[in-house]
Amino acid sequence: MHHRAPALDIAIPGLAFDGRQVLGPLRVVLPAGRCTALLGPSGVGKSTLLRLVAGLIAPPDGTRIAAGDGAPLAGRMAWMAQQDLLLPWLRLRENVLLGARLRGQRADVARADALIADVGLAGRERAWPSELSGGMRQRAALARTLMEDRPVVLMDEPFSAVDAPTRHRLQDLAARLLAGRTVLLVTHDPLEAMRLAHKVLVLRGAPATAGEIAVPGAAPPRDTREASVMSAAAALLESLAA
Amino acid sequence: MNGAISRGLVVTAGLILLWQAFVWITDVPPFLLPSPGRVAAVLWERGDIIAGHAAVTLSQILGGLLLGACAGVLAALLLAAFAPARRWLLPVLLVSQAIPVFAIAPLLTLWLGFGMASKVAMAAIIIFFPVASAFLDGLRRTDPGWLDLARSMGAARGAILFRLRVPAALPALASGLRVATAVAPIGAVVGEWVGASAGLGFLMLHANARSQADVMFAALAVLAAIALALWFAVDALLRAAIPWSRETFPDEETTP
Amino acid sequence: MTEIPRRALPAVASLLLPAAAAAQAPGRLTLLLDWFVNPDHAPIIVAEEAGIFRAAGLEVRVVAPADPNDPPRLVAARQADIGVYYQKNLHLAVDQGLPLLRIGTLVGTPLSTVTVLRDGPVRTPADLHGRTIGYSVAGFEEVILNAMLAPHGISVRDVRLVAVNFALSSALMSGQVDAIIGGFRNFELHQLDIEGRPGRAFYPEQHGLPIYDELIYVAHRDRARDPLIRRFLDAIETATAFLVNNPEESWRMFIAGPRRELDNELNRRAWGSTLTRFAHSPAALDQNRYARFARFLHERRMIRSVPALSSYAIEVPPAA
Repeated sequence: MHHRAPALDIAIPGLAFDGRQVLGPLRVVLPAGRCTALLGPSGVGKSTLLRLVAGLIAPPDGTRIAAGDGAPLAGRMAWMAQQDLLLPWLRLRENVLLGARLRGQRADVARADALIADVGLAGRERAWPSELSGGMRQRAALARTLMEDRPVVLMDEPFSAVDAPTRHRLQDLAARLLAGRTVLLVTHDPLEAMRLAHKVLVLRGAPATAGEIAVPGAAPPRDTREASVMSAAAALLESLAA
Repeated sequence: MNGAISRGLVVTAGLILLWQAFVWITDVPPFLLPSPGRVAAVLWERGDIIAGHAAVTLSQILGGLLLGACAGVLAALLLAAFAPARRWLLPVLLVSQAIPVFAIAPLLTLWLGFGMASKVAMAAIIIFFPVASAFLDGLRRTDPGWLDLARSMGAARGAILFRLRVPAALPALASGLRVATAVAPIGAVVGEWVGASAGLGFLMLHANARSQADVMFAALAVLAAIALALWFAVDALLRAAIPWSRETFPDEETTP
Repeated sequence: MTEIPRRALPAVASLLLPAAAAAQAPGRLTLLLDWFVNPDHAPIIVAEEAGIFRAAGLEVRVVAPADPNDPPRLVAARQADIGVYYQKNLHLAVDQGLPLLRIGTLVGTPLSTVTVLRDGPVRTPADLHGRTIGYSVAGFEEVILNAMLAPHGISVRDVRLVAVNFALSSALMSGQVDAIIGGFRNFELHQLDIEGRPGRAFYPEQHGLPIYDELIYVAHRDRARDPLIRRFLDAIETATAFLVNNPEESWRMFIAGPRRELDNELNRRAWGSTLTRFAHSPAALDQNRYARFARFLHERRMIRSVPALSSYAIEVPPAA
C-alpha cells in the first residue's frame, strides 16, 4: 500500500508578488523518504515556497518541480497549514475524512478511527471541533493529513500553535507516523528542526535564497538531552538571530 | 426556553399597560387610538372572523418566505458559481430592490389575479434580496485557508462550492433569513391593499373605511403577534439547524 | 383679478350685511378634501379663486389628503375645521362614536354606481349572478349590492367581491373583474369612454338604495353655532351660484395657477357632468333623506342604533 516516496527537485527562477521580488532563484532538493526542515526569518517567504510546491500558487515561468521517480506529482502531495482548518460543521471523524468527502470517494471509516487513535484522540470521534483544545485540534489536523496517505507531505509550522510540552509530544508522533515519506517541514523553531529533520535549509535575504545547515548524526527524532542536538539548535538560533 | 417565554409575557403585559396608561393620561379619542380593553373586546367578539383573515395573511407570509428564500438561495448560488451571472444578474438584482413595492403591486395583481398568488409574489419579492445578498456575501467570505486545503486535496469546483462554501455561508444565510422574516409581513399586507378579498391588511382597510378603529387595531395587534411569533420560531429553527455556529455577545462567557 | 370678483361682489354684498363679519379679522379655517382636487370640488375652488372666501372675511386653507378616511378622524380630533366626507359613511362614523356633524352638502345627488362594460355580458343587475365585482374600499359594497340584487332574487353571496382599491377602471378594462362598484358616474364612465371601452352604469338609487348626498361637509359637533361655519356656507352658496351661471369662466378658474395639470380631457368631461349635481342650497338639510338612510342602514345592521338626527346633521342657523 505504501509506495516508495520520491525525492523532490525544486527549481524556481524567482517569484514576485505585487512587484516585490519575494524569492530569488532557488534550487532545493528534498531527499526521498526524508524530512527536510525549512527555516528563516518571519516573512522571508517560507510559506510562499511551501504553497508554491503544494500547487496553491501559480508557478512562474521556468519553474520545475520534479519527482525523483519521474512520475507526475499531482495527487501525491498532502498539505498541512499552520491553522488546523477543521471545519466547524463537521465532527472530528468527518473532518479527518474530509479528503474523501471532497473528492467524492468512499470513506474508510475504520482507517480514520485508527488514525484518530494514533494521534491520541480515541473516544473523541464524534466531538465538535469547538469542544477540542488547541493541541487536540492540531492532532486532528495531523490525522487528516495522514488520512490522505500521500508520499509527499508539506507542513507549514504545524506545531507552532501549541505549548512546548504538547509540541514535543506532537513532534514524536509526527516523526513516527511520517517515517518513510518525503516531508518538507516549514518551522521557525531551531530545536524542532534539529529534532526532526534529516536536512535543514535556511531561507535568507531579499530576494530569498536557500542555504544548508549541518545536522547531528543521529536519526530523527533526536533526543533533546543530547548535547549535539542542543548545541546545533543553539548555533542555528544564533545564526538566525544574527 | 421557559425563561424566554415568561420574559416575553412580561414584556407584552408591560406594553399593554403602557398603552392603557397612555390612553388614560392623554384622553385620546377612541376613534384615533382605542384602549386595550376595547381591542380585547373586539378580539373576543369577532375572534373567528379575525382568525380567518389571520390565517390567510399567515399563509401568504409563509408562502412568500418559502418562495423568496428559495429564490434568494438559488440566485446566490448562481452568482457565486458563474462569473457571467455576476456580471449580468447583479445589476438586475439591485434594481429589483430599488423599485417601491406599491409600484409593482398593481402589476402583480394584473398578472397573477386577486388571489393569494399575487400576495405571495409580493412578499417573495421583498424577501428575495436580503436572502440573496446575505447568502452571496457568506459564499464569498469563505476562509481562504479552507479553500487552500480543499484545493490541495484535489477537490472539484462543485465539491468546493457545496461542501465548503455553502456550509460555511450558513450563518450568513441565517442572518438574511432573519431579516426576511421581519419584512415578510409587510409584503403580504401591501399586496392585500392593492386587491384582495381576505387577510389582515384587507380587514384593516375595511375597518378604516367604516371608522372602526377598534377592529383596525385588533387586526394590527394580531399582525404584530404573528410577526413576533414567526421571528422567534424562525430564529429557534435557525439556531437548531446551525448548532456549530457559536453566536455570542461580547459580555457572554465563551467556552475554552 | 379682473371683472370676475367684481361680478361676484353683488352676491357677496349680502354677506356683508351682518356688519360684524366685515369688521373682524379674517377667520381661519382648515378644510380637508376627501381626495385630490377634482371637479367634485368646483364650488370650493371657485370660492377661493373668485375671492368669495376673502370677501366673506375667511382665510380657508384647503388640504388634500391621500386617504379619504382621514378627514373625519382629523375633524373629530379638532385637527381640522371642516372636512369633505360621504353621507353614507357619516352614519357609520357617528355610530362608532365620532363627534361629527353634517353642516352642509357639496354634491346633492348620489354619484356611486355599479358599472360594467357596455359590450360585456352584463345587461341587467340580474346578470351579475356568479360574476366578479371589484370595489374600492368604501364599506358599502355589500349593502348596495344586496339592495340592487334583491329584486332579482339574488344576493351578494351570488357574486365574488374583490377589493381593487382605486384601480377601478383598469380592473374593469383589463377584464380582471366583470363589474365595478364605487366608481363615480361623473368620472369613471368618462374614463372608460376615453379609453375606448365605454361603460354602462346602474344607478343604485334607481335600484333600491335610498337617495343620499354623495359629498357633504362635516365639522366637529361643538362647532354647530360657530359663525365662521355660517360664513363658510354662505360663501359656498355664492360660489355655487356663480358656477352654475358661469360654467366656462369657472372652469378657467379651476385650472388656473397651480392646478394647471388638471386641464385634461377627463376633468373637462367630468366638469360638465358634475355641474348639475352641486347642492344649490348647501346649508339646507333634507331631514327625511338622512333619517331614511339611517333607518335603511339600521335595518341591515350596518349601524347599531338610529340616533336623533340633530345629533349628527343640522341646518346651520342664520347668522345672529
